[in-house]
Amino acid sequence: MDRLLEREDMTEIARKATLCYGCKICQLVCSFHHTGSFWPERSSIQVFRNPQTGIVRWAIDKTCDRCGNEGQPLCVKHCSYEALAKVEDERQEGRNHE
Amino acid sequence: MNKEGKIGGGLAGKILQVDLTTGRIRTESSEPYAARTLGGRGTNSLILINEIEPGTKWHDADNLLCFGAGSLVGTPAPGACRTDISTINVFNGGKGSANVGGSWGAELKYAGFDHIIIRGKAERPVYLYVTDGRAEIREAGWLRGKTTYETENLLRQEIGDERIEIAAIGPAGENRVRGSAVLIDTAKAAGGSGVGCVMGDKKLKAIVVRGRGKIDVFDPAGFMEAVARTQRQCEANRAKVQSMRQSGAARFENLDFEAWETCMVIRNGQDDYWERDKRARLMNPEAGIPSMRRKVRACFSCPTGCMPFMEKTRGKYEEMKGEGFWINALWSVARFDISDPESAVAFWLLANELGLDTDYVAAGLAWVFECYERGFIDQKDTDGLKLEWGSGEALIELMRKLAYREGIGDLLADGMVEAAKKIGRGSEYFLAHVKGQPSIEPFRIPKGWGLGVATSPVAGRHLRGAIRGPVHSGPGGDDYDIVHYPNQAKAVVWQAKTKELEDNLGICNYVGTWSGAHFLNPGNYAELIRTGLGLKVTEQDLMEHYAEVGRNLEKAFNTLHTDLSREDDLPPLRFRQEEIKTGPYKGFKADEEKYNEMLDEFYELWGWDKKTGMQTREGLEKIGLKDVADRLEQKGKIKG
Repeated sequence: MDRLLEREDMTEIARKATLCYGCKICQLVCSFHHTGSFWPERSSIQVFRNPQTGIVRWAIDKTCDRCGNEGQPLCVKHCSYEALAKVEDERQEGRNHE
Repeated sequence: MNKEGKIGGGLAGKILQVDLTTGRIRTESSEPYAARTLGGRGTNSLILINEIEPGTKWHDADNLLCFGAGSLVGTPAPGACRTDISTINVFNGGKGSANVGGSWGAELKYAGFDHIIIRGKAERPVYLYVTDGRAEIREAGWLRGKTTYETENLLRQEIGDERIEIAAIGPAGENRVRGSAVLIDTAKAAGGSGVGCVMGDKKLKAIVVRGRGKIDVFDPAGFMEAVARTQRQCEANRAKVQSMRQSGAARFENLDFEAWETCMVIRNGQDDYWERDKRARLMNPEAGIPSMRRKVRACFSCPTGCMPFMEKTRGKYEEMKGEGFWINALWSVARFDISDPESAVAFWLLANELGLDTDYVAAGLAWVFECYERGFIDQKDTDGLKLEWGSGEALIELMRKLAYREGIGDLLADGMVEAAKKIGRGSEYFLAHVKGQPSIEPFRIPKGWGLGVATSPVAGRHLRGAIRGPVHSGPGGDDYDIVHYPNQAKAVVWQAKTKELEDNLGICNYVGTWSGAHFLNPGNYAELIRTGLGLKVTEQDLMEHYAEVGRNLEKAFNTLHTDLSREDDLPPLRFRQEEIKTGPYKGFKADEEKYNEMLDEFYELWGWDKKTGMQTREGLEKIGLKDVADRLEQKGKIKG
């Protein structure tokens, strides 16, 4: 939560866990935004999945700049499951609940 | 066109060569191979044909086990997640190949490799740890006998890194059970050709990959545009996407879904019609398979997501859960006349734990059930098990015996064709196999499906050209009826060619032309290749050159290494002789003469000899495979 205070615009990317299938494309296109390469290690988003429990863990760090130069955050644009959204206030629904 | 031009992106760039006998590890460039084949399975096939001498057996140290991530894997191209595993086929000595999704292939590429080629055999169990341009062979005695689930958990604990991806075998592979699979992440199975058996023979328990590197494409902006366009294509077909997201099996919740009528094989092929009340019991919304589906998961970079996570509470069997339940489970249990949903789910999840190929288990063990029914074997042979149609408990117990080679399991583990020879009494006639590999496929009703399976270069399986109506056919190639013979061959060849492209690029067949929705098509592949790999290709180049290269390499491997002939491209004997007994297709069988007419057309379309089905020098040279033609000629397999 604290990290939000470091942001000027108070927008963030939120995930609806029930819609997320764990395909990791958000992580991948995020790295493309930052580096021009497909480089998951350099992504603001990290996705972990456990095939034995079915649980997907998703985390976004403060290096996320909401893709300021892209019009729309790439993770939101490329999420085929409509699990990600740019939200103005973290008190809105669905931050990252399983 | 720029045939076999220079690759300008998409690849990690290296092949990792590991010799388990000597412990030697080296690397070579993957680019010249990919320029010739498009990568993935194509490159695996080229390495196999170049480096394995005819006469080599699957269990010889000189056999290679080749892992190859597709050339677009690691990028956000839709469904680009697949890895091909190729080796000598344990069922006939020819080409073996199995294909699998998950995130393992992408992680391999981020670790710096497109392929891992395993040669030799370890003296004691080992696993391979591959990370960031290097590899280490590590001791794995402590993993001996562990299921794929246990193996995954123990390796995660040992290595202490959540991001590792694991390809492992279970006890079945370690015990060299022929139909063993390699499991990615415990749930995604590379099932066919006995690839897990070869891995076990090499005493390689697992390959763990972890990559912190990157993949660059040729034209990043153009590639991202192509990706966005192809994703929109998928999303535009909303109804189909939704149906897949409920998992492939969800379509079968509609008891009138036509595949219930056209694609089932019951009681080991005694019939191809399954009564509606049994379908209803299996798929009952409250107590059937759908009630055990908790959620659905997607493989790496996949927009369609089709992998249900199943959870079976304690009942007849232990509590079980896991990813990756697929419609083959329905076919599998119907083959035993089992309509009990708990058994269907337990069958599937247990196969994943033990590291068994479900098709092998279903086709092989249903034959064992029939041997029991016909009195070829009895309770003395089965350690008291009553192998009666409909008994899920008998199937589960027999499967466990197979994986651990207990009692009759030991006889069956060396292959069903071998077992049939030992059991004798004409039992082989009842074994449905294609080129030696037990087959769960239908042949009597869907004719293009049957042709695609029977002609597959990797001993059957339906992802090498099988079609089930216009949804699987190319432009203008849909002028046929599923159940009739005319005009099927053209559509089968089109479908087989698109499979070559998809498996080389690593794009899931279910996102490609197998989806029934054609989310992606060869035109899309050309665009993704131009912008991603930097090869200046058109759709026509792909279909008339690269797709033919892939198929011909596998065909040539079979010609060099086996005596497979035209007869082996026909459906299993039983389906040519026995008619369907009940249902709307009563009286249908696989008519030998008409199947042969389809074969004539099929061979001609590939440019092979119409009479023998064999390749020609002219055809091979036309697609740049003169070296392969020379090799075949040296061995006296084609005329000069």
